[in-house]
Amino acid sequence: MEDYIVEMRHITKRFPGIVANDDVSIGIRRGEVYALLGENGAGKSTLMSMLFGMYEPDRGEILIDGKKVVFHSSNDATAHNIGMVHQHFKLVDNYTIAENIVLGSEPMTKMFGFLPSVDMKKANREIAELSKTYGLEVNPTDRIEDVPVSVRQRVEILKMLYRKADIMIFDEPTAVLTPQEIEFLLQIIDGLRKAGKTIILITHKIEEIKKIADRCAILYRGRLVDVLDVRTTSVQDMANMMVGRAVDFNPHKSEPDYRGTVLKVDHMTVKNENHFEVVKDVSFEVRSGEIFAIAGVSGNGQTEIADAITGMLKIDSGTVTLGGRDITHLTIRERAVEGVSYIPEDRHGTGVVMDFTLRDNLALRQYYRDPFSRHGILNFDKFQSYSETLIDRYDIRSGQGPKTIIRSMSGGNQQKAIIGREIEEHSKLIIFVQPTRGLDIGAIEKVHRQILDERDRGAAILLISLELDEVMELADTIGVIYNGQLLKIAPASTMTSHDVGRYMMGVKEA
Amino acid sequence: MNTKKKGRWLANLLNSEKYSSFTVSVLAIILTLITASVLLLLMGKNPLVAFRSFLQGCGFLPKANYGGGSGMLSDLTDFLNYLAPMLLAALAFIVGFKAGLFNIGIAGQMLLSGFVATIVIGYNKNLPAGVAKPLVLIIGIVVGGLAGALIGFLKYKFNIHEVVSTIMVNYIISYLTGFFINNKFVDMLTRTSRVCAPAARLTLTNIQIGGVNCKIPFGILIAIIMAIVVQFIFDRTAFGFELKAVGQNKNCAKYIGVSVGKSLVASMAFSGILAGLAGVTYYLGYTNTIIPKTLVGMGYDSIAVALLGNSSPVGSIFAAIVVTVFQQGANYMSSAVGVAKEIASLITGILLLYASCGGYMKGLARGVIQKDLDREAEAKRAASHKEDAGQGKEGER
Repeated sequence: MEDYIVEMRHITKRFPGIVANDDVSIGIRRGEVYALLGENGAGKSTLMSMLFGMYEPDRGEILIDGKKVVFHSSNDATAHNIGMVHQHFKLVDNYTIAENIVLGSEPMTKMFGFLPSVDMKKANREIAELSKTYGLEVNPTDRIEDVPVSVRQRVEILKMLYRKADIMIFDEPTAVLTPQEIEFLLQIIDGLRKAGKTIILITHKIEEIKKIADRCAILYRGRLVDVLDVRTTSVQDMANMMVGRAVDFNPHKSEPDYRGTVLKVDHMTVKNENHFEVVKDVSFEVRSGEIFAIAGVSGNGQTEIADAITGMLKIDSGTVTLGGRDITHLTIRERAVEGVSYIPEDRHGTGVVMDFTLRDNLALRQYYRDPFSRHGILNFDKFQSYSETLIDRYDIRSGQGPKTIIRSMSGGNQQKAIIGREIEEHSKLIIFVQPTRGLDIGAIEKVHRQILDERDRGAAILLISLELDEVMELADTIGVIYNGQLLKIAPASTMTSHDVGRYMMGVKEA
Repeated sequence: MNTKKKGRWLANLLNSEKYSSFTVSVLAIILTLITASVLLLLMGKNPLVAFRSFLQGCGFLPKANYGGGSGMLSDLTDFLNYLAPMLLAALAFIVGFKAGLFNIGIAGQMLLSGFVATIVIGYNKNLPAGVAKPLVLIIGIVVGGLAGALIGFLKYKFNIHEVVSTIMVNYIISYLTGFFINNKFVDMLTRTSRVCAPAARLTLTNIQIGGVNCKIPFGILIAIIMAIVVQFIFDRTAFGFELKAVGQNKNCAKYIGVSVGKSLVASMAFSGILAGLAGVTYYLGYTNTIIPKTLVGMGYDSIAVALLGNSSPVGSIFAAIVVTVFQQGANYMSSAVGVAKEIASLITGILLLYASCGGYMKGLARGVIQKDLDREAEAKRAASHKEDAGQGKEGER
């Protein structure tokens, strides 16, 4: 028998309509970096959520240090020295870093000798020490809302260390980071391994696994496909196994063929609801047949640019012109009719109505006009036939076809539905914001193909992405945004990903 | 085994897409009856007798004896007279609810429209019935609609939550109308507002049918028509489609180009119109007078009706009947069984509680089904294992 620190045996977990994990058995050795690779919906996060006590498996058992355990909540997991950094950080924005870290297990003292109170001095001191020991630089007294994403992630890691976690689960930790920050995070993980921690890394980015992991378990549609030694397996093999077929890494991108300006943004300034300028005096043009990508670290004003062009946000000054027509003061619907399609960043919050059927969601751009409705009366025959066409054309998979409630569909298929719905408008301008966020390699490949096809059809594409790889792969022209300003606009062929990365950090002269 | 089968059957019904809205409500009613029975037993009363007397009070079952000139039919028409505003009020709630708004100002909207219709038309003795009755309805629609639109406007323009504004507006309406009634329109004997002219009243009274005294409430016709209209709007029209989108995801509605502000105002106005109709059918139909400074409990009972009807307009017709049986039958039950009639409100409350547990019941049902499927799969696997083993042995031989 090997010395496994964690063993999960024959784990099965069901959710209404799907089997998230089907008889999965894995064993993790003490002190290794163990990667879980799989497409979206393959069951990686579910499996780890069970190890962290957030769900209980329907069947199967979990062993820690060879002893069987049953976790009813994440507190039980914490008691067994298991920690987890979630994809969406679980931090209180208006608390300081130290307060966030000690929250739930605060060091106590007696005020005036009898009133129990939190000993923040001690907490600050301990956290400063911890951060020094592991090279995780943070200032314990900063508020979370004032620090960037990469620091927030460090806070999450410190939270685990503070609770003496030996087994650390990272759920897609690099999704929100710049290339430089990813590099740094991988170093931190390596340091943790050297300090004797066991790391479980959930990801769909194979390069990272190749860089840092010792072994890698591949999940496909809830089943365990294989457990590989990372050193002896090629990236291509891992990708194929993960998607269940051969993957084409480089979509064949034809030479661009520009045909006149479609979108012209002129000295546009946008304020958010707190009257704070989030987009400052931005100007750029997108031509027909061009993919103009805006690269930047999350929260630098890129989504606001998209919202301002589509009408979701008011433009404070400057103009937006579409195909020669000033659309600055048109309503959202008028702009859509004029030829703006929009794949929004927040799929669930904006892109679909979660409890509507697939059929109704596919008709959201059309429902009010002939032949979808006449004199205000909906024509459901048209709804039905239209949704069947789109389901077929865009390969949207769902449990029950048009009448499936979209909430029950996988993220990839929800995104396919949104992209299909928007592309089908045959708009002059299509804005993609984070179009592949949370999607797996197979789905990403398809989305990229669709974006390129639309560009070749002659649409102007505005691509806003936090994934630098995606920007480098697709863009004809790159604009780098920092703090609401476009620092640099240049043809993609003249910039390396390292140049772009530097502009993303606000360095003006590369 | 048999009981397990039965459990599965019930679970299937609760979980089925087609019937769940119906079966969950029926289960809520059954659970309510059981709980109420326990309460009645604790009070030393026979629950069956009590339930029968609720039905007797509403004219569904014959009473032991009737007073002069009245009969089962009089009780039944009384029941319909009360059912009409109840159903309209429930529809008012549903319209707001579908658009994501929690209209608990129905009682206030009812009172305001009833008050305006009473003083403008009800106290005008010269109008013929053919003019007065339609005018009463129009006032109900206009006043209720405006009162509702105000709430929507406050939400859209100043982001005031509708629950807060409706509670406040309820008080304002209640005291304002109370002030005018006490100062100008009060009947010194009853201490309520003076009665309306019969021509304005939406219920015809003292009609002899089959030798008994009956009422003919026009309101019930209006209510059922409105239930069908509301159902149609949400099922088949672009307007209803937009309201539902706004109700479920405001961001997405905005993103597809719906004017969210206009939709909020429109849905509250629509909700107010139905509340206004409920108001005139209540104050110029069921009663013929207004008690000053008093909001009717129906404004809140209607929420129970809407939830029990699973927010379906047509479904709430049946839900309204159930709730009204308890409310309207309480008087007779009280005198026949000797339990305070307030138990009707208690039962409505229990009903509301169970109805709002609908999602939980569905979840339970799903769990039962899943466990059953698991067990079957296990059995199958075990069986196939045995077969394999058996075949293996045969092979050895």
